[in-house]
Amino acid sequence: MTNEVRSGELPGGMTGWVERRLQLGPFINAALHVPIPRDAKTFYFGGITLFLFGIQVVTGTLLALYYSPTPEAAYESVLSITSDVSFGWLIRSIHHWAANLMILFLALHVLRIFVQAAYKYPRELTWIVGGGLLLITIGFGFTGYLLPWDQRAYWATVVGTEIAGDVPVIGPSLLLLLRGGAEVSEATLSRFFGIHVLVLPLLIGGLIAIHLLFVHQQGLANPKYPEPRPGRPAPARPPERLKPFFPDYILDEVIAWYAILAALVILASLFPAGLEPKADPLVTPEHIKPEWYFLAVYQLLKLVPEEAGVIAPIALVLVIVVLPLLDRNQEVRPRRRPIAIFCALLLLVALAVLTYFGGRI
Amino acid sequence: MPTTRSILRRGTGRSILLAGLVAVAGLVLAAVTAAANPEPPAGTGPWTLAVAQATPTPEIPLESAPPLPTPIAHPGDASSTGCVDCHSAVDAKQAAIADDWRSSVHAKEGVGCADCHGGDPTSDEITVGMAQANGFQGVPSRDETVGLCGSCHANADRMRPYQLATDQYSKYFSSVHGQRLLTADDERVAICTDCHGVHDVKPASDPTADVYPFNVPALCASCHADATKMEPYGIPTDQYEVYKGSIHGIQLLQEQDLRAPSCASCHGSHDAKPPRSDEVVQVCGKCHTATQALYEQSAHSRVPGAGPKCWTCHGTHDVGQPDESLFLHEGGVPDYVCATCHSPVDQSLRLELDRFADPADRRCDTCHHEQSLIYSQVEAIANAIGGAAAAYDSALVQIDDAAALGMIVTDADVAAQGARTELIKARASVHTTKLATISELTDATIAKSSEAEDIANAKLADSDFRRRAMVIVIAVIALNVLVLIVLRRRLHATA
Amino acid sequence: MSGGFPPSVETAGTTIQAIEEGMDGPQGFGRRRLLRYLLGFSVISSIAIVVTPIVGFLIPTKTTNGAAGGRVAAGTLDTLPVGSGEVVAVGSKPAIVVNTTAGVKAYSAICTHLGCIVAWDGAANAIVCPCHDGHFNPLTGAVISGPPPAPLPALTTVVEGSDIFIVTG
Repeated sequence: MTNEVRSGELPGGMTGWVERRLQLGPFINAALHVPIPRDAKTFYFGGITLFLFGIQVVTGTLLALYYSPTPEAAYESVLSITSDVSFGWLIRSIHHWAANLMILFLALHVLRIFVQAAYKYPRELTWIVGGGLLLITIGFGFTGYLLPWDQRAYWATVVGTEIAGDVPVIGPSLLLLLRGGAEVSEATLSRFFGIHVLVLPLLIGGLIAIHLLFVHQQGLANPKYPEPRPGRPAPARPPERLKPFFPDYILDEVIAWYAILAALVILASLFPAGLEPKADPLVTPEHIKPEWYFLAVYQLLKLVPEEAGVIAPIALVLVIVVLPLLDRNQEVRPRRRPIAIFCALLLLVALAVLTYFGGRI
Repeated sequence: MPTTRSILRRGTGRSILLAGLVAVAGLVLAAVTAAANPEPPAGTGPWTLAVAQATPTPEIPLESAPPLPTPIAHPGDASSTGCVDCHSAVDAKQAAIADDWRSSVHAKEGVGCADCHGGDPTSDEITVGMAQANGFQGVPSRDETVGLCGSCHANADRMRPYQLATDQYSKYFSSVHGQRLLTADDERVAICTDCHGVHDVKPASDPTADVYPFNVPALCASCHADATKMEPYGIPTDQYEVYKGSIHGIQLLQEQDLRAPSCASCHGSHDAKPPRSDEVVQVCGKCHTATQALYEQSAHSRVPGAGPKCWTCHGTHDVGQPDESLFLHEGGVPDYVCATCHSPVDQSLRLELDRFADPADRRCDTCHHEQSLIYSQVEAIANAIGGAAAAYDSALVQIDDAAALGMIVTDADVAAQGARTELIKARASVHTTKLATISELTDATIAKSSEAEDIANAKLADSDFRRRAMVIVIAVIALNVLVLIVLRRRLHATA
Repeated sequence: MSGGFPPSVETAGTTIQAIEEGMDGPQGFGRRRLLRYLLGFSVISSIAIVVTPIVGFLIPTKTTNGAAGGRVAAGTLDTLPVGSGEVVAVGSKPAIVVNTTAGVKAYSAICTHLGCIVAWDGAANAIVCPCHDGHFNPLTGAVISGPPPAPLPALTTVVEGSDIFIVTG
């Protein structure tokens, strides 16, 4: 058996030329085979989040070509992008809206996984890596928010880093580390930019690769039947029927991506990203509000003492991350997991109420 | 030589005489008629009307201030606490007085009981401390108080360490309060202690002092808004209420802006007296410097008696934010009676304060009626300002529209600020009454407003373009999605 | 390994072929062509709506303001002799440049009182706001008299040879 290729069997042109040299065929073939149960209902949330991240990479890179990360020039550069550069308003507005949508769809994705119990055996690691992805995405939101260096950006960062400083034990050091000093200053902008544009993209890139690798290895979870666990009798179930990842699922995914693209275009055109007056450390605006995804924590801190208000979200995140290790129940259907569903509902309602009141002033 | 007799005997002579008699009779008749209907005074015309003074403020010569008494001499010094020690323990009223004094600036600077009351503060025995032989004078009368305060406060040498003014004593006696005290022996007028406190005197810079700028209107009103107190003088008592609603009152009392005037700023404090009609422009101009300079360029300032002053258009205590409605009456000028503006005696123009008490009468066309020659200039000015304001407002509307659509409007805002600068200058220049000056500025306002509006319109056009482009892009995406859906549907239909 | 074409890629090709073949019939050829045409248009239009903004974005525009660390020309020492001042545009904001005995100074020309644009008064040797007669010290921007509550914010100037620049970055 030789590896020689009979030229008649290969497709013509470029694909054949590459294939003869690199033999990527089997690799791509394996990559495109992801077991997907016919019952799987993902709503494409995870894929959409990935797509939005891709949008952020492209628009972010474009913005970085014009942006200047110093207090003297940051604001003017963003203003220039929005007013002077061709399509600058579009790139910036899409970056702004894709950021918000990415966090929204990430939350929906997490919710879907939870409701379908897809975090349970054997997908615990995927969930934990996903927790890391969630934290990094929030980190993106927090660091990116400062970059326009307008009043809203500056003071939201002051408040946000103050809250970080209230974490017990490590708080004050964390505050210094984040701010690059005692105050929000040039140093803060510098390191937020570096984190937003270099550190976090590298981290998230690595984690996304791992997350996708895990998904690929295990395939998508079946929302109706749990995976049989080692050492336990497998519950009765009909044989698994799969649907092809390529081209069926991918086609559906791409349709969803187009829909999101349309949403982004509409949002960017009708509600372009604005700019408040330039940051003035001497003038505190009357109402400082963080972006919507932080409003719940912000409101909580108004209601409970500082320590509790800071520890609660951290504890919640920790619980969420180690959830698969805590929840050993084999059941995957929502009806059979009343406690889990009830807790999730409670949490959702609490977050919704806190967010609503946090946004009202 | 023919004699008169011989002329009169002939017929021609009689005709001449008859003609002469008729002529004389006619002249006499004319003279009599003329006497009954006096001719208008010579030189009648718009700019040479004989103009009487506005109702003059009577110039009563001022009684001069009495000579300054010497400060009370007494044994002991600032550290002698005999009086206070005893009085703090006597009864509640005396203890309160002692506390008042302790909180005062006098106590801080070592001015004690004996400095005003005399006596011996080194002893706490009533027979020694309050003995007349030791100089005790008791409570000074209201008359004596002014001189007592003045004995130190009008002494430059004594006041030098504190860098306090020493003109209050002489100023006080030039005021209405001081003059009435002197000439009419009126003990009800305000004296030093009524405003500055008796024992709890505080510096005017102390926010808890009655004479601190924020507290001055209420202090004056404590007498001047009291109908019973003001009844003997026939002074109105509504000034405080009116002032509170005025722009000055709002700025001082609500916005807590120390730059705003209180009663004392215009009427004087120690020399309190309503400013005379010919002094008003200087009083207002102390703060409104630019406006005074503009006014002094105008024709109005050249007619000292009947020319309008600041209060004619802007009011006195009820000064409000001026606007375009000050030019002309809305819906036509009411039928004013001649005597409203013209003296019935010699038809000269007179300017009365009460004539403009109603803000509705404060309009240019109250004096410059529609048939007057100057009216066209008034109208031209009103239209120029109105046009400029309209252009500026229209630019703002467009900028707001652009901002509401999410466009960045900083450059349009700055252009609008330039237009606003010109508009404010144009409005201020109305005080010159010169159409050329005003038009130059209103033209500049309109030019800059259109610049700003053009920028805003460009952004609106941009926004429109983006929306249209968005529709096209969405259409392309929809097409793509359709194609994909078709592909998807047919994927397994053929398998 | 047969070295054949990966089955998945093959599938795509055959799928499209199969779909096209499924359109056999009297209108088969028309529909096939239509599908190819639509697909092609789809792909090209998708690429177009993505690439156009990106390429447009990358092409630098001619901007009048020296944004992001640039500087703006504000006259020369000849046009602005000592004792004179002028309002110039820095980006979209007005600035006032004054040539004083202590060097060339520049400040924001927006009066701190109510936002009017200030002007230079050579006779008074001060920066004056025409709206309410506020006066500013040309050496420091501090308020000399009038209603303005705060000094004019200072801007950095650079003099190279006889050219005056205001630094915007």
